Amino acid sequence: MTSNKTSALKYAESILCELVIKKEWQISKARQELKKIALSQGYNSTSIVELVTSMSELAYNLFFHTNNGGEIKISVIKCDNGTGIKLACNDSGPGIISIEDALQDGYSTNGGLGGGLPGIKRLMDEFTIASNQHGTSITCLKWLI
Amino acid sequence: MTIIPILYLKSTLIASIQTELTDEEVLLFQSNLLKKNHKLNTKGVIIDVSTLDVIDSYMAKVLKDLTSMVKLQGSVFLLSGVKPAVSSTLVDMGMMLNNVETFLSLDQAFDYLSTKVQAKK
Repeated sequence: MTSNKTSALKYAESILCELVIKKEWQISKARQELKKIALSQGYNSTSIVELVTSMSELAYNLFFHTNNGGEIKISVIKCDNGTGIKLACNDSGPGIISIEDALQDGYSTNGGLGGGLPGIKRLMDEFTIASNQHGTSITCLKWLI
Repeated sequence: MTIIPILYLKSTLIASIQTELTDEEVLLFQSNLLKKNHKLNTKGVIIDVSTLDVIDSYMAKVLKDLTSMVKLQGSVFLLSGVKPAVSSTLVDMGMMLNNVETFLSLDQAFDYLSTKVQAKK
């Protein structure tokens, strides 16, 4: 868990869905799964769009930038602070050369608009990223309001 | 594969994107639209996204590219029907789509085209 405020409190996490992203059609499937889960947890429409857009950016990153795709786990967090949906995205390389650059608006290595990662950071409540040549791991979380 | 119908009405091309598109579908749509626009020499092209729930950075890039392409052909590109949640998310993502002319509804976009825009003869 990334946040200090939850570490000392009652905390339960259940993984609801593990998605493999290798092919493009799996991206839209990932979005649909997340939308279903967010609806069942009672998220409002704006939050759902923000969650699903973040998922879309994560999944496109796996599709465009990794060697063999990757996986995204969707889990629901229940703790004293409330309910949250966590997306954990992992791949096996080649890694991000400069995380600082990748978190800049408008930075892109494939001719895109370059808003993916900084966008996710703004759309979600919590965001952590770690990367080396063996893979990248991104975890982000959005609380239910 | 989804094929998006492109309709011709009073010197305007109208298309409605209703689901997310794959790479391949986008390329096909793009080339169909540009070919049709070239053949019919329209005043403008309206893309309606009022049923689209998510516009991610990929879709935003597609719309931005289309704007430039249609403009190069001498027509006006208009986007209509961006949902409230979609517009706030786009700004959070840093994608203002500044050079894309937008309207709340297809009706307004069409009105604008038929009254305000002169055809290039």
